[in-house]
Amino acid sequence: VTAPLEADVLVVGGGMAGAVAALAAREAGARVVLVRRSPGATALSSGAVGVAPGAAGRDAPLAALRGPVEAAQAHALRHPDHPYAVVGAALGALPEALAFAARALPLLVPALDRPRVLATPLGGAAAAALCQRSQASGDLLAARGPVAVCGFRGHLAFDAGLVAAGLARTARRGGPEAFAVEVDLPFDDPAARPHELARGLDAPGAAERLGEAVGAALRGRGAGVALMAPVLGLDGAARAAERVAAAAGLAVAETLSDVPSVPGLRLQAALEAALRAGGVEVVTGALAGPAIPGALVEVAGRVIRARAWVLASGRYVGGGLARRGTLREPALGLAVQAAEGREAGVHLALRPAASLTVRDRRAPQPLLSAGLRVDARLRPLDDGGRPVHPRLLAAGAVVGGHEQATDGTGLGVAILTGWLAGRAAAGGIA
Amino acid sequence: VASLKAMLYLGYRAIVAHPLKRLARRGTGLERFRAAYVDEGLAPVTPEDRAAALAAQECISCGLCETGCALAGADPMVRALGLHAAFRLYGRGPHELPLAAAALEACAGCAGCDALCPTGVPISRVVAQLRARAAAGVDASPADEAAPANPGIVSTA
Repeated sequence: VTAPLEADVLVVGGGMAGAVAALAAREAGARVVLVRRSPGATALSSGAVGVAPGAAGRDAPLAALRGPVEAAQAHALRHPDHPYAVVGAALGALPEALAFAARALPLLVPALDRPRVLATPLGGAAAAALCQRSQASGDLLAARGPVAVCGFRGHLAFDAGLVAAGLARTARRGGPEAFAVEVDLPFDDPAARPHELARGLDAPGAAERLGEAVGAALRGRGAGVALMAPVLGLDGAARAAERVAAAAGLAVAETLSDVPSVPGLRLQAALEAALRAGGVEVVTGALAGPAIPGALVEVAGRVIRARAWVLASGRYVGGGLARRGTLREPALGLAVQAAEGREAGVHLALRPAASLTVRDRRAPQPLLSAGLRVDARLRPLDDGGRPVHPRLLAAGAVVGGHEQATDGTGLGVAILTGWLAGRAAAGGIA
Repeated sequence: VASLKAMLYLGYRAIVAHPLKRLARRGTGLERFRAAYVDEGLAPVTPEDRAAALAAQECISCGLCETGCALAGADPMVRALGLHAAFRLYGRGPHELPLAAAALEACAGCAGCDALCPTGVPISRVVAQLRARAAAGVDASPADEAAPANPGIVSTA
């Protein structure tokens, strides 16, 4: 029998929120154990960090988009159940939390005062606070000339024509002009899936050959940036995007990603590298049975004891919430709250999950914003509105009140609440 | 008039046609059940099959498992389909399972996918189970080893 793994903070969940919480607690001097089962929603994300939709309207000029902090404040005012609103004055720590995440994850470029406007793989434009280095030159507000959207000849996964047509609409809002070209892949694999393309480009010589093809296709066209499918390398250390750009002789950027997401996988890999570098003990496995902070828990044969816990287990994709007839929080058995239920005096979360969707696609969906209810210090609340435990905190998508998959605030909430919860959990230790 | 005709037809079905059909039919109850329902995916299952199906239901088709899946050596059609397609095929009628046989055979059993599933589906176990079922064929379902092959079931294997 091995001795229990003693720590100050136990983090449950290894996505953006859990990793940021663990790193923030580590920075505050705590000994941290992070338990995670598998990659989750972070690995399926676009690869960039959206803090809040800065939209001033669908057709508003891009230059009128609000900066990340201002957008988050505006979002909190409009959505009183949103974590940005629930944390109250702590929302002011958002710039610090974003800067912390950008420092911890070298593949991200730091936030600006204005949003970065990045192209989606379907030709839309989305505001992001942080983005990966491979996406940064695709910022439509910083493009120095027309955007050349490069598709791969014979490959159907990325439709350059569609993206260029979509960006032409954005051009009316002050974005750059766009046109589509096709280039040859440096290897013949018409059925390759995104992560296989990315792995192929990591190989020595492949990214260079692709870059030469891009450079040849765009010679004399005056393009400011070549925008490509989000498959430029799976291994961040291989720097495939930079190699393509160097060989092409112009700026190269990826679009945001749909699922399956290579940039999302890179982001997840960067989190894991940061946890290793930061001295966080990572245990792979599921938490077995409900327990409370301070108690011994067993994960994959390791016994762990920690004074404070941060639950960052995600929403449905991460497995932090499960639909088994009704909505459950499987790790600790905490009370799940569905939005609107409180006001109506009804426990929506106790109803069958299928009844929590409404027909109007644009209306708020109680099922999609369900999660834990927390107080301003991010402590989960029980049915009576009292904190479950003084040293149990929640962060990220497991906290309810926002439709994190669609409202454009998912990773922003993960970073803010992760950072706040990590520091709070480590509080009073050092 | 229309409702009178409808009532007469229903009466004919109840008093004449249905009793005659019952007299004419052959085979045990299980055989008749299988003849009627197997094509619709309502075949009898073993407890193991049922456990695997329940586990597979947690699949949300996110595709994260595929990034750890060495299907690269498989047939292009199988690769394009991907591994998690196996779960969608799972819920269909057993007579469609043989269509997935190529995809299931392409699995090397490396179990690299299991650690990648965010909802905890034991993917390699489900795939192994499906393979066994596909290999055993449609008619080798449980509880009727002694029953003769039913001509009502067309095997696509």
